[in-house]
Amino acid sequence: MKIQIKQIRFFFLLIFILLTVAPSFADQKATDIVRASENKMRGKSSVSVATLQVVRPKWSRSITMKIWALEPDYALILITKPARDKGTVTLKRKREVWNWIPSIRRMIKIPPSMMLQPWMGSDFTNDDLVRESSVVSDYTHTIIGRDTIQGYTCYKIRFDPKPEAGVVWGKIIAWISVKDLLQLKADYFDEDGRLIKTMTGSKIKKLGGRLLPSRWVILPHNKPGHKTIFEYHSIRFNVKLKPSFFSQQNMKRLH
Amino acid sequence: MLVSLAWKNIWRNKSRSLVVVLAIAFGLWGGLFSDGLMIGMGESMVNTAIDRDLAHIQIHRPDYDETKGIHRYIPNGLSLADSVRRMPHVIGVSARTRFTGIASSATSSYPVQITGIIPEQEKKVTRLYKRIVSGTYFASKHKNAIVIGQKLAKRLRLRLHSKIVLGFEGAHGELINIACRVIGIYHSGSSRFDESNVFLKQNYLSGVLGGRTFIHEIAIRCQKSAFVKPITAKLKARYPKLLVQSWQERDPMVAFTSSLMIEYSYFFLVFILLAVLFGITNTMLMSVVDRIRELGMLMAIGMKQSRIFVMILLESMFLSLSGGFAGIVLGVLTIALTKHHGIDLSVFRASLESFGASAIIYPTLPLEMYISLTVFIVLTANIAGILPALKAIHLQPAEAIRSV
Amino acid sequence: MYINLSWRNIWRNKKRTLIAVASVFFAVIIAVSTRSMQLGSYAYMIKSTAHFYTGFLQIQQKGYWDNQSLDYTMDADSINYQTVASVAHVTAVAPRLESFALLSYGKTTRVGQVIGIDPIKENRATNLKSRLVKGRYLNPEDRAVLISQGLAKMLNISVGDSLILYGQAYQGQIAAGLLPVQGIVKYPVSELNNTMVYLPLPVAQELYLTGNRLTSLAVMIDAERHLDFVKSHLTAVIPPHYTVLDWKAMLPDLHESIQFDNVSGKIMLAILYVVIAFGVFGTIIMMMNERKREFGILISIGMKKIRLIFVTFYEILFISFIGALSGILGAIPIVWYFSLHPIHMSGPAAQVYDMLGIEPIFCFSTNPYIFLNQALVVFIIALVTFAYPLFFLRRLQPSTAIRS
Repeated sequence: MKIQIKQIRFFFLLIFILLTVAPSFADQKATDIVRASENKMRGKSSVSVATLQVVRPKWSRSITMKIWALEPDYALILITKPARDKGTVTLKRKREVWNWIPSIRRMIKIPPSMMLQPWMGSDFTNDDLVRESSVVSDYTHTIIGRDTIQGYTCYKIRFDPKPEAGVVWGKIIAWISVKDLLQLKADYFDEDGRLIKTMTGSKIKKLGGRLLPSRWVILPHNKPGHKTIFEYHSIRFNVKLKPSFFSQQNMKRLH
Repeated sequence: MLVSLAWKNIWRNKSRSLVVVLAIAFGLWGGLFSDGLMIGMGESMVNTAIDRDLAHIQIHRPDYDETKGIHRYIPNGLSLADSVRRMPHVIGVSARTRFTGIASSATSSYPVQITGIIPEQEKKVTRLYKRIVSGTYFASKHKNAIVIGQKLAKRLRLRLHSKIVLGFEGAHGELINIACRVIGIYHSGSSRFDESNVFLKQNYLSGVLGGRTFIHEIAIRCQKSAFVKPITAKLKARYPKLLVQSWQERDPMVAFTSSLMIEYSYFFLVFILLAVLFGITNTMLMSVVDRIRELGMLMAIGMKQSRIFVMILLESMFLSLSGGFAGIVLGVLTIALTKHHGIDLSVFRASLESFGASAIIYPTLPLEMYISLTVFIVLTANIAGILPALKAIHLQPAEAIRSV
Repeated sequence: MYINLSWRNIWRNKKRTLIAVASVFFAVIIAVSTRSMQLGSYAYMIKSTAHFYTGFLQIQQKGYWDNQSLDYTMDADSINYQTVASVAHVTAVAPRLESFALLSYGKTTRVGQVIGIDPIKENRATNLKSRLVKGRYLNPEDRAVLISQGLAKMLNISVGDSLILYGQAYQGQIAAGLLPVQGIVKYPVSELNNTMVYLPLPVAQELYLTGNRLTSLAVMIDAERHLDFVKSHLTAVIPPHYTVLDWKAMLPDLHESIQFDNVSGKIMLAILYVVIAFGVFGTIIMMMNERKREFGILISIGMKKIRLIFVTFYEILFISFIGALSGILGAIPIVWYFSLHPIHMSGPAAQVYDMLGIEPIFCFSTNPYIFLNQALVVFIIALVTFAYPLFFLRRLQPSTAIRS
């Protein structure tokens, strides 16, 4: 069969179009992957039980809590263990954070100046609680390869912050499994390309009917001996929760 | 006649008198110059503070300082700034959006004071734009351009073009986080200031705050420091519900250190005059002791004791006045010469700057000091001459003539 | 033999010698007084500032100062309080547990500094009780707080109301407490007046869940000049992983401004020295001229010039020495008097001192080194003036000298 010049030109044109369009397809795909992965982790609403473990060079501490969440604006966290902190409640309403302290029967609003203080002594700050899950909207995403993490084949996705986004990172590299879209690892870099912290997800199990990593470890690289471990024991998704549930009065009534 | 006699007596022993005159001249010159230097340093401290951020006059809502929060803004701030701008002898008004927040980088965070300015306006009020060590003072197209201090850059491990995230409470109590681009780094000399002050374009900040421009601080620069007091008084009367403060009221520590300098310089002058006093007394005593024979003879031939007393007194006065005159002339000349170009004390740059002064000091001396000085000299001369003169009149003429 | 001759020469003409000695004498007194006032003022500034809060020295665990976190606390039992308090020159030792916390009352929340103290020891160190303006001071068994005035105003809280304290406790735990306000203390410095909350040490330790631990021990000493001595002795009696910080590290601003002031002070002193030098110089010149005839005769009857030079040198040596020694003795009562009865300041500087809560006085230092140093300098100056007699004697022509 003779290949005509016209056909060749058309062929090249097609390839050219595909090549220019393909990256944006890839971006879009990347963003979709991230979004889907995030949505898996969260539901519109959820009730979960989890343990937070703070590891420091000289000590470590464990808190067990029950979490009610109505994404993206509302959350209630009730501490159930240890005994000293039992009954302490943190309320998030939009961008405000309140703490109820049963030992003194008082409510405190966390002022902006304290928002960067650690929450419950962990590596999470109060601000981390209120910040909108911005990994989807504050970044553009690109698939840059494939890797195997913990035996799973993963997309290796690069998150680049959008110019106007109020995020400190220069970039994030995340590994999301191809099957089941599990977030297994994320490396956080500053703008000079220095690796500042790494988050890993492990102990994959069925939580609330979904397959999810139940154990998260945050490892800051500039603070030797520091670690924060967050482990879900149970999650129920799409529970009936109304914004009115997330109120100061309710904080006192929780158990 | 006594006068001319006294005058001639002095110059009879040229070297001795010259030494005394020079001593007085140098002492005075040294005292005047070092005082001028000290006062210059005090002024430099004041000017550095004013030029850095303080300005001459500031206006706030009375409850602003309590929290420095975004809600404590001046009502109709922009139009107020405009009307102040039209006042005579006011050469610059900067209406600042200013509140506290937190600056973060990937590595750490630090509480800061966030200021939104219109660079062209701010340049007329402060000189911070001259202290940029890296980058520019808002000559940038970035809307979210930010200028930070060197110390903060170090703390947060930031450089030119780095990203810095500011977190603060918005107009409705919500938490706002914005990313800004470092386009300029300044070094003001006060590391405390550098560490906690960041500057943004006001219109960008207003946009982030929902489109409204909040004015928390109005900073005013007057044509000359002499106008500060009257203009402050006028503004206080015009806006009784607002807190109008001159720079001394706004930052008393700055006023304190500079006025302390002036107190010290007066004291120092006293010490110098004391030293000069003793120098003159010594010389006159020596001179009297030397002239025992001559003085004895004068008394023997009938010169009244009182006239000898006056003569000695006059001699000491002439010495001091000659030296004093020379000293003042020297002092005036050196201060006038160095006033314009200033003295470069770069050797002490580090301590000077941390203290708030600049490395180049412009000596200055207020007129009152010259006047008080002349008075002091005359006084000193009289006191200095008393003892020798007393000595002279208590001589026994007969003994005196016979001594060698 | 020359020494004998020179000694006798001096006393041959008592008056002349006395005048020469007097010039050195007064010079030493003036130099000592000036320096004493300078150093006295610095010591006073340091003392006043140290007494506000930080103390002259603090014993802390290594790393606490940079991190300011409860992770760097000391076991209270690991330090023998008695041993520390009995180091020479230590006047008070105050144990503390400090951290910051959210303070809340009604609808208002502020961040403040919470300090656990031993009320008695703290008062001995910083006179905290004297700052009380309302309510009662703390007793060791109380379960209540003292709050600074500015903070009380901001929170709208008064004596009897209960204050919420909330923050980070030891090892990641939560600190939460509700305590009544027992008294209000006032600080003239707003930084302190707007942030301080005091409570008894055991209550603070319970709040922050630290057990019997401290963040620091503040140490007061009797005079600034003993700082290094005390520092080294303290370092010797504390465990190796603890460190002693002095006020220079804790108050770098003050340290810098004093260093700066010291530099200008030394410049002024140098100018004073030159004036003094001229004074002494003049005296020597007169002495030489006056004895011209005598020298001429001595040389013409055979005395070698070089011997004359030596004799004159020793004469000057003696005069300087006697003058310097008597100067020291004369300066002692003066400095002593003023150190006990400081000179009061007036004018704008005094007002600002008042505002800062510091008494506006000029202090004099009684450090013995001052006397020795200044006397030494004047002594050297006097010796240097020997250059003139040297020059004079070498040029001397006996024939012309005798006829003068």
